[in-house]
Amino acid sequence: MKVPFNWLREYVEIPYSPEELAERLTMSGIEVGAVNRFAPLDDNIVAAKIENVSLHPGSEKLQIVEVNAGSRLLKIVCGAWNIKKGDLVPFALPGAVLPGGQEIQAAEVKGILSPGMLCSAGELGLDLVQNEDGILVIDEVCKPGTRLTDILFINEPVLELELTPNRSDCLGLLGVAYEVAAHTGGRIILPSFEVEEKGRDIHELTEVSILEPDLCYRYTARVMEGFRIAPSPLNMQLRLLSAGVRSIYNLVDVTNYVMWETGFPMHAFDYDKLEKGKIRVRRAQPGEKIVTLDGLSRNLDSEILVIADDRVPVGLAGVMGGEYTEITGETTRLLLEAACFNPMNIRMTARRMNLPSEASQRYEKGVDPEGAVFAQNRAVHLIQQTAGGEICRGMIDNYPKPYLVPRITLRSKKVDEVLGFSVGEGEIEGILDRLHLKVQPVSDIATSSSCCREKSQGAVYSIEVPSFRGDIKEEIDLIEEIARIKGFDNIPVTLPVGVITAGRPSEERRVMDRAKDILVSCGLQEIITLSFMSPRFLDELNLPSEDLRRSAIKLQNPLSEEQSVLRTTLIPGALQVMQYNFNRQTEHQLLFEIGKVFLPDGENEKLPLEKVMACLALSGSTPQNDWQKPSSPIDYYYLKGILETLLNSLGIDNYRWIPEQLPLLHPVRGAKLIVDGKEAGFLGAIHPALQEKLQFRQDVYLAELDLRVFFGSASLLPSFMPLPRFPSVFRDVAFTVSEEVSAGDIMQDIRECGGPLLEDIKLFDVYKGKQIPEGSLSLAFALTFRHSERTLKDEEIDKIQDAMETILHQKYKAVLRKL
Amino acid sequence: MHENIEKLQIKFREAIENTGDLSQLENIRIQYLGKKGEITLLMRSMNQVPVDQRPIFGKRVNELKKLAEEMLEHKKSQLHSVHSEKRWEKERLDVTLPGRPFEIGKKHPLTMVLEEIEEIFTCMGFKIAEGPDVELDYYNFEALNMPKEHPARDMQDSFYINPEILLRTHTSPVQIRTMQAQAPELPVRIIAPGKAYRRDDDVTHSPMFHQVEGLVVDKGISLADLKGTLLLFAQEMFGKEREIRLRPSFFPFTEPSAEVDISCIICDGKGCRICGETGWLEILGSGMVHPKVLEISGYNPEEVTGYAFGMGVERIAMLKYGIDDIRLFYINDLRMLRNVK
Repeated sequence: MKVPFNWLREYVEIPYSPEELAERLTMSGIEVGAVNRFAPLDDNIVAAKIENVSLHPGSEKLQIVEVNAGSRLLKIVCGAWNIKKGDLVPFALPGAVLPGGQEIQAAEVKGILSPGMLCSAGELGLDLVQNEDGILVIDEVCKPGTRLTDILFINEPVLELELTPNRSDCLGLLGVAYEVAAHTGGRIILPSFEVEEKGRDIHELTEVSILEPDLCYRYTARVMEGFRIAPSPLNMQLRLLSAGVRSIYNLVDVTNYVMWETGFPMHAFDYDKLEKGKIRVRRAQPGEKIVTLDGLSRNLDSEILVIADDRVPVGLAGVMGGEYTEITGETTRLLLEAACFNPMNIRMTARRMNLPSEASQRYEKGVDPEGAVFAQNRAVHLIQQTAGGEICRGMIDNYPKPYLVPRITLRSKKVDEVLGFSVGEGEIEGILDRLHLKVQPVSDIATSSSCCREKSQGAVYSIEVPSFRGDIKEEIDLIEEIARIKGFDNIPVTLPVGVITAGRPSEERRVMDRAKDILVSCGLQEIITLSFMSPRFLDELNLPSEDLRRSAIKLQNPLSEEQSVLRTTLIPGALQVMQYNFNRQTEHQLLFEIGKVFLPDGENEKLPLEKVMACLALSGSTPQNDWQKPSSPIDYYYLKGILETLLNSLGIDNYRWIPEQLPLLHPVRGAKLIVDGKEAGFLGAIHPALQEKLQFRQDVYLAELDLRVFFGSASLLPSFMPLPRFPSVFRDVAFTVSEEVSAGDIMQDIRECGGPLLEDIKLFDVYKGKQIPEGSLSLAFALTFRHSERTLKDEEIDKIQDAMETILHQKYKAVLRKL
Repeated sequence: MHENIEKLQIKFREAIENTGDLSQLENIRIQYLGKKGEITLLMRSMNQVPVDQRPIFGKRVNELKKLAEEMLEHKKSQLHSVHSEKRWEKERLDVTLPGRPFEIGKKHPLTMVLEEIEEIFTCMGFKIAEGPDVELDYYNFEALNMPKEHPARDMQDSFYINPEILLRTHTSPVQIRTMQAQAPELPVRIIAPGKAYRRDDDVTHSPMFHQVEGLVVDKGISLADLKGTLLLFAQEMFGKEREIRLRPSFFPFTEPSAEVDISCIICDGKGCRICGETGWLEILGSGMVHPKVLEISGYNPEEVTGYAFGMGVERIAMLKYGIDDIRLFYINDLRMLRNVK
């Protein structure tokens, strides 16, 4: 909402500069985004009266114009032909600088000295539709020689309000004036009108029926005839220009002018185009159509409220008029509408038709129904002033449910309670009074009835809210009014008092935070990617059709196809980040993300399942930039080592890796992670086909973990193992087995054989080559045995070792190697 | 006799001075102080000295022996240190060569900022609460005093899954979920960090972003308390010298409502490009919990009051790190992520 500063001053005295006013309004909740100031027009541009016009002796294209510029008579050479004797025109004296930067000097034009220049609207920097080519003719009355800025509303400062949706009252200058008065205590000067009715009674001419009283609260109409359609007076055009409204011609300009003034949208119909002159406010019928003012044909249905004549819709109520009943040069009678509609219905129509208009914006947020008659009278008054014509007798006012002045009870005690300090009754009353709210004290029980009771009950008021403040509905709204006019800066600073509460994060949160810390200390960089993904990616990942991750939830209104479904896995996001960084010559990437994925929960009406997952994506080589050690490529075991570190550090020890062919992963380089018997994720090398599709030249290793399973099994409890009292016995053993046997299985069997005496097992060598038959390999283990209550004897260990040998031979044909 | 002693002393001194290594020194020791050493033999020749001269002779020889031992010891340590230094010199390192690189990762800058915010509030006794990213219209709008077709819904353009389910446009639904789960128990004191989504995509808006919601409900909670809490937060987060400013605003679920500015962290409130010459930076929205919201959540607004606030994590991170394009947070360019501190 643009508020021209001097226009606003017509309704209230403003003892501040525009900037000071902006600061005050902003600090009381009416945010002023900017104060736009324009360079003032040069004082040497004055209004001059044309005394005589004659032809230039030296040119057919020029005239000699004698002007009265106040103190003297001057002869000016002029090339425009739209002026005549008696006109008042802008005259730039020598030395004047035009807004475009041109400095005026006395100059000889074809042998005649011209001491100054007559100006067009464009030369004065005014973007007006008329007088485009000619000299601007001033329609105000003044003494020749008066500075132009003293007569015309040129270049006044404009405040740009950024209103919150509750303050529709400030969508009119009068509303803003009331707001100013709340600060200054100043009086509001209402715009005046005189309505002299003549001729036929309006009830003979038209009939208004509201068929949907829930959607149309009030409909007023007046009819005028005999007016002259023409451009508006210059100052009205300039005012609208400063408010950012395009001037069209007097009738339309008046409706806009009144809307800016009062906040009340109006519409004018060509009365003679209305079938039987009737107005019916009704829902559109399915199949009905209307061509709106913008020339588009629109299909209607029964959700849309229309203004219709006796036959067809002639306007979208509160949004836009119809083309057929538009005022044109041939219009001789008009019907002026000032009505009030249901905000939700208008909002819905404007949105469905994609037609946000100045009118619909006001209706959506609420228009003061009590303002309709004032707007009507002000508008017909201004039409008569600018276009002449007669106002038919009477006004139609169809007002099915008249506005009831709300009364709200306000307790000073509640004010103090919410704001946290004692505002004082005098101050409360003063603020409400300046806001034009009627304050009446209700019986003050505590102070009047009994001196024994505490006085803490405070005063109780009954408040009458004026109709233009439709946003004030209950006590809390009044408390807010008091707070914002009092000024938030004047509210003291205190801290809440109460019982102590435990703020420590939940166990799950701490497990997650710990997991992040561990991954970071393993050298991984955390990334955060969007929760959306492209459905195309699901195809690229080559997930089987029955995979749950394929049934991603679709957005109804995505920003793009790329972001049209919710992610069901973190892998696509991580791969995209990898691709981005590969393309920027970052070859070494150790990435992880912890975040939610979204899976449908069967039924459409229910919220999806949100699972917290961790994703790891590694590629590159390690160590990086070590001048002592050559680096080797990151591989499967590097990733697995990180996962094992993570599991161990989170206190998870009951886990297994199961080799399995999984989607996304290399067919023989992937495994599933089982924690406490539950599937907890997977790891492996990226599938070669996917790698090729993404054009990754390096190997990439991926893992995705279901952190919910981790939360269930992790333990952050401190634990302690007493120091051993008896020595341990170390044994190194190596077995030759076929390559097809999994080392994991062998270790599992060794553990079982070792029983409680086997304290630790480490695989320290995998060897292939000399002394090992083709197709086999040697696995070497370091075993640590210990008994907690005595020193072990070698024979005991030998026995265990023999048992291991037997079992491993039976199961895997493993042969013990002599080391 | 005495000349012999003098001569021996001179000879010994010369021998010591002329020797350059430890094994030679050992030979000298044997030559003079060994069982058959010259000094030893001299001591044994006492019986050949006239009786009256014996005490003086004995004293002189003893002095010589003591001196010899001292000189030997001194020379030995001298030679020893020279020897070690030579050996150590061979172990010289170029101590200016780079150390072995240890690779350590980093958390995402948004995580770091989030953790800092969480730490400040959890230390004040705020519990961390969470809610779903995909939310019912009821929690996201209706229960927050924004019925269907409420104009305030325009402030937040939403991603819909279906007419009743959407991606939450703010973390405020966690207010309702928390209160409804806890009512009528007091106090409610939570922060709700999390992701939120709006249909915007430009240098200051990302379709996904992070918020931290705060909510306190108890008997006697006031706007002054809100001001105090936020001042404390601003000073913890942005420095002790920070000031805050509350501007009245509008949110359907709080009343009175306020936008909160901090004195500019770049220019200290003097006015600069970052704060648009105002000296202030807007960092969050806040207000007193609307009575209707308390009521729908199971609390009696006549008995309890509350305050709530919500801040954009990206906004704060952009100010802290001097980042001017929000989308950089989600591109995850490693050259940027590895360099933020």
